[in-house]
Amino acid sequence: MGDILGLVAKRLGLGLIILLVISVIIFFMVELLPGDIAEAVLGQGATPENLAALRKEMGLDQPAIVRYLDWLSGAVMLDFGNSIVTGTSVSQTISERFANTLFLATYAAAIAVPISIVLGIIVALLRNSIFDRVANVATLTSISSPEFFLGYILILYLAVKTSMFPAIASLSSDMDFGDLLYRTFLPALTLVLVVTAHMMRMTRAAIINLLASPYIEMARLKGTPPWKVIVKHALPNAWAPIINVVALNLAYLITGVVLVEVVFVYPGIGQALVDAVSKRDFPVVQACCLIFAATFILLNLAADVGAILTNPRLRHPK
Amino acid sequence: MSVFVIIYYTLLLGASCLAAYFNKRSAFLLIFSLTLVSFILGIVGGPGALRSVAIAAGLLALAAMVSYAFREFLIVIASTNMAKELRTAPLTAAFGMFVIFTYAIAGIFAPVIAPFGEAEIISSAFAPADETMLLGADQLGRDMFSRIIYGARNTVALALAGTVLAFLLGALAGLLAAVNGGWFDQLIARTSDVIMSIPSLIFALLMLSIFGGELANDTTSFWLLTGFMMVTGLLVVTAVFENNIIGWAIGLAALVGVSVAFAGFMLIIFNPSEIILVLVVAVIYSPRVFRLTRAVAGNVVVMDYIEAAKLRGEKTWYLIRREILPNSTAPLVAEFGLEFCFVFLLIAGLSFLGLGIQPPTADWGSMVRENATLVSFGEITPLIPAAAIALLTVAVNFVVDWMLYRSSGLKV
Repeated sequence: MGDILGLVAKRLGLGLIILLVISVIIFFMVELLPGDIAEAVLGQGATPENLAALRKEMGLDQPAIVRYLDWLSGAVMLDFGNSIVTGTSVSQTISERFANTLFLATYAAAIAVPISIVLGIIVALLRNSIFDRVANVATLTSISSPEFFLGYILILYLAVKTSMFPAIASLSSDMDFGDLLYRTFLPALTLVLVVTAHMMRMTRAAIINLLASPYIEMARLKGTPPWKVIVKHALPNAWAPIINVVALNLAYLITGVVLVEVVFVYPGIGQALVDAVSKRDFPVVQACCLIFAATFILLNLAADVGAILTNPRLRHPK
Repeated sequence: MSVFVIIYYTLLLGASCLAAYFNKRSAFLLIFSLTLVSFILGIVGGPGALRSVAIAAGLLALAAMVSYAFREFLIVIASTNMAKELRTAPLTAAFGMFVIFTYAIAGIFAPVIAPFGEAEIISSAFAPADETMLLGADQLGRDMFSRIIYGARNTVALALAGTVLAFLLGALAGLLAAVNGGWFDQLIARTSDVIMSIPSLIFALLMLSIFGGELANDTTSFWLLTGFMMVTGLLVVTAVFENNIIGWAIGLAALVGVSVAFAGFMLIIFNPSEIILVLVVAVIYSPRVFRLTRAVAGNVVVMDYIEAAKLRGEKTWYLIRREILPNSTAPLVAEFGLEFCFVFLLIAGLSFLGLGIQPPTADWGSMVRENATLVSFGEITPLIPAAAIALLTVAVNFVVDWMLYRSSGLKV
């Protein structure tokens, strides 16, 4: 058991180092701006007094490395400084939106994960049949479509033409849970369509890979019924790739969510990021990027750890 | 029961009986399950739903016929060797090739095909379609159809440029890392690990927030592009001249010339903000190309014939050019197609967010955003550019699928 803990700790340490490097990239990229943030924000019409005042307010009179350490220690305590545009605290604006985004991603994942794993296994069992080919073309089409295409199609057919669901996912605090699920159904469905296709294909590949191994053939040859071959022989070994697939696609959800939030005007962190980029509100951009990167790394880490836990062979690296 | 519904079911049942009679098992299964689904659809949606099923089936049949004819056409005009390969292509791959061909024609001959200019305002905003404007006007009164045709040129050219740059850098670094190994390999591998652990869209947004403002001017983009080409070219110079100091001097001089000329040439074709976009995309996607090339070339490097070539005293560049590249072409070409899809979708997404290709240049991603209000009136025109994006990506994926299948010999 200590073995596993050591391995997990090692992965965790590696993830932390990568996150640290990313924080350096995110912070010092802004330093690449000609002049400094103050000039970029105030533009060309800025008077020297304004510039000096803003510089002092943002602490730009200190060297970059001091500001970086300051920013990093703030970020660890979830304090990302103040927005340049509105002047309010970044973490306050973002925290609520981040919760909304997490809710949307969880909602989509809760629908997509069971469906895609079951469908993936079915398609793997029916491989090379006509259904497999149809599923192949359908999933490929769904993967290849940009998220906003799927989103607008759903809006057109489910919201405008039949008015079954609301087209705009506006949230307010007094909605109960059922109402919330109903309001956010279309954005969640868009994400489900994209992620399910990815997961189905990956699950199918993993299972087919497994079914080609000799011990499965052995089980078949000794006359085990097909369902037993799957449940008792294939599934225990399939958990590792399936967990991997799920974690990787949840990480994919994090990126897909940005476009979907913009399509459905959903008050999430992705929309905040896009707004901040077009307004050049650097503290918000930095905070959002760090949060997205951290989530991404965490999910990839979860995939690694899950694979180690379910596959004893990975516990003894060569 | 309308006449349409009767004909619909008669055709379906007749076709499934015929398929069963001639022992076409999979065709029978498909048609008969479609019949069963239509029963449910017909009850829920009425004849309207059945009609859309019939239209979809008709479109599918049309696509199948077009791709079959296009494949035969290619077989006839191709050389004997190529024709042999093409005969193994499934209909989906032929369809993909047909779509790519159509897009290429539309992109190259855009000024001839499009009835109006891309930024030409010819009527009132959101004017409906008439005989001069096939798809109506957009939010400023420009012809939608012309803009879609021009979009084929702008969006695809940009994505292609981004993919080529990403591929140059990534593939060269991967090949060199595979041959040389050691600290060079480690350094590049760790750098690409870091870049790949930031989600691509997020990283692109971060870079665009910095380079997007007044930094997107002629001089900055020129120097950035020159710098990128210098880094890529340094890899080539390292591989070609190794420890030859005079060679290095000549190589560097030639490199500076080529980089500046290339950057100048790109600046003529694209505007500064587009060049920034291309560079951002190239930086984000080159680690992926590096990973794959490193893996593919790593498998080739351990072969005996490479060992023999090394003992013969061949240089790195010879090994890369004559031994490794010919043996890893197929996966690299397939990877190029896949990367193109990713790059294309990323650029479309960025343009949709209003941060990619800037107006008034016609571009599919931003066209969707600009005309999105029409969707709430039940119009499908804003979806056409989005569908154009999806169609091209699907087509490239179909062709890549076939190539991967062919090159891997995978028969699962």
